[in-house]
Amino acid sequence: MSWTRYSNRSFYLFVAPWVLGFVLLTAVPLGYAFGVSLTNFDGSSPRWRWVGFRNYGELFHDQDAWASLLRTVAYTAIAVPLSVAGALGLAVLLNRRLKGVGLWRTMFFLPSVVPVVAMAIMWKLVLNRDAGILNALLHVVGIRPVSWLVDPMAFYALLILTLWGLGGGMVIMLAALQGVPAELEEAAIVDGANRWRVFRHITVPIISPVIFFQVVTGVIATFQIVVQPLLLAETNSIAGVGQVPQSTHLYMVQVYQEFFTSNRFGYGSAMLWVFFLVILAFTVLIQRSSRLWVHYEVDTDAEG
Amino acid sequence: MHVNRQATATARRTPVRLSAGAVYVLLMALAVVFVGPFVWLVLAALKTRDEWAAIPARILPHKAQWGNFVSALTDINFPAYAVNSFFLSTMYAVLVTISSAAVGFGFARLRGRGKRPLFLVLLSTMMLPQILTLLPTYVLFSRLGLVNTYWPWVLWGLAASPYLIFLFRQFFAAIPRELEDAAIIDGCGWGRIFVRVFLPLSRPVLITSFLLSFTWTWGDYISPALLLDVDHTTLSVAITAWYTDPHGNAIPTVQAAGAALYVLPALLIFLFAQRYFIRSVVASGVKG
Repeated sequence: MSWTRYSNRSFYLFVAPWVLGFVLLTAVPLGYAFGVSLTNFDGSSPRWRWVGFRNYGELFHDQDAWASLLRTVAYTAIAVPLSVAGALGLAVLLNRRLKGVGLWRTMFFLPSVVPVVAMAIMWKLVLNRDAGILNALLHVVGIRPVSWLVDPMAFYALLILTLWGLGGGMVIMLAALQGVPAELEEAAIVDGANRWRVFRHITVPIISPVIFFQVVTGVIATFQIVVQPLLLAETNSIAGVGQVPQSTHLYMVQVYQEFFTSNRFGYGSAMLWVFFLVILAFTVLIQRSSRLWVHYEVDTDAEG
Repeated sequence: MHVNRQATATARRTPVRLSAGAVYVLLMALAVVFVGPFVWLVLAALKTRDEWAAIPARILPHKAQWGNFVSALTDINFPAYAVNSFFLSTMYAVLVTISSAAVGFGFARLRGRGKRPLFLVLLSTMMLPQILTLLPTYVLFSRLGLVNTYWPWVLWGLAASPYLIFLFRQFFAAIPRELEDAAIIDGCGWGRIFVRVFLPLSRPVLITSFLLSFTWTWGDYISPALLLDVDHTTLSVAITAWYTDPHGNAIPTVQAAGAALYVLPALLIFLFAQRYFIRSVVASGVKG
């Protein structure tokens, strides 16, 4: 056997775990979900039957599903820009000579390694209406107790939880900022540009691929939020899904309920497939828009 | 990758003019926001139930109630859940690190037809929300009788993780070719080259991969909640629901103690491996 053929075969052997895994654990479940979405399967009863595209037709007229989808888009449109901007702001703040710079960075990064369950428990303690520290602090400045975990404030509670974890993005931004040639910024300042203009017209364009990456991954992560609203809801058990406040009743929460509260696996699967297409569409849309505002210095396709 | 360059070498300017004093005041205010919830959790874990419920909120407990931690460990079978979590996380982390290293090696060093399209598929699965496939996977596994077993984690581990594959590929791609040429002349096959030459060089990435995947499983809530029953489940599920008094009401102080004990390993791992962690976050994010 020639060396080339041997290498070729070795390549397939080495990547086989992922290829098999992708087929069996991603493609097959997605295909299976599509199959289920054409039935009225309820998860246990053997008496299910083919219903064709009826689930999709119903979904189209489902007010709750539309509302939760719009809410998810709105939440993403608010949460992603805030966390990307926040991460960038923190990175700019920490990208300077500071006493204990490592300690500051660690403190801001720490929340992003906290498991979601612990995060939810912590914030429920902080946001508790009567005994929470946040309302106690607000009381000092004369603001009456806020019910953070119920409508309409639950939306902001979820937002706080999301923003608290922006340290991961901050670290990436920090690395990007350190890749910006200092001479470029200094030259512009010598030429009389003020700091904001330098930041806006030199720094931001140079790091725009990283900002772009953050936006894309942020949108995808935010679209699929489901555990946080479930755990932030006033009840403590997973069975208490029904009590998720309306303002944090995002699309995946709705899907989750169709599966496990209503046992409508067929309908839930249809919702999943529609969401899959929605996410795909958004990703392509953002990708397209990137041509307008992302600045690539070199051809990023050039890879080894 | 030159991602870990020292940041402090040059002092950069913020877009807005801030005096040094203002910067430190701002940083301290932010630190309160980012660290405050941890402090509040520990304080809650040290209060009596009445102290916790007091209106207006009390900041400090009159006397530290260490008994809450005892209750956290004994009210539910904490040690058993910790063992479940630990076993599941370790097993997954070992498997996924080995498989991802192998796949990463394949993509970095070997040639094969269809490598580029395959790599594009790999990159696009990084974008695929895990939850989309998790629900059908749950339905599928329950029909295959894999619910209430740890097999799903074995399979996920063997299947490698796109994110870790990417990490390994980046690392392996940067290793000079002469190294493997020498081994090839000595008559080594790719398997031996991978195990004898590349793996020993990649200790930092192996550690990063192990720690990252360990903490993913340690922190995961939704997969164990869906796939495991009361006895087989992990700490993340156990601490959310089952710290209740005889009336079925949650006991926040004990839950806080349980959460503190649960989050501690994740924080310790992070603090010990901080440089590795941050580097891998950066590596994953800078070169999309």
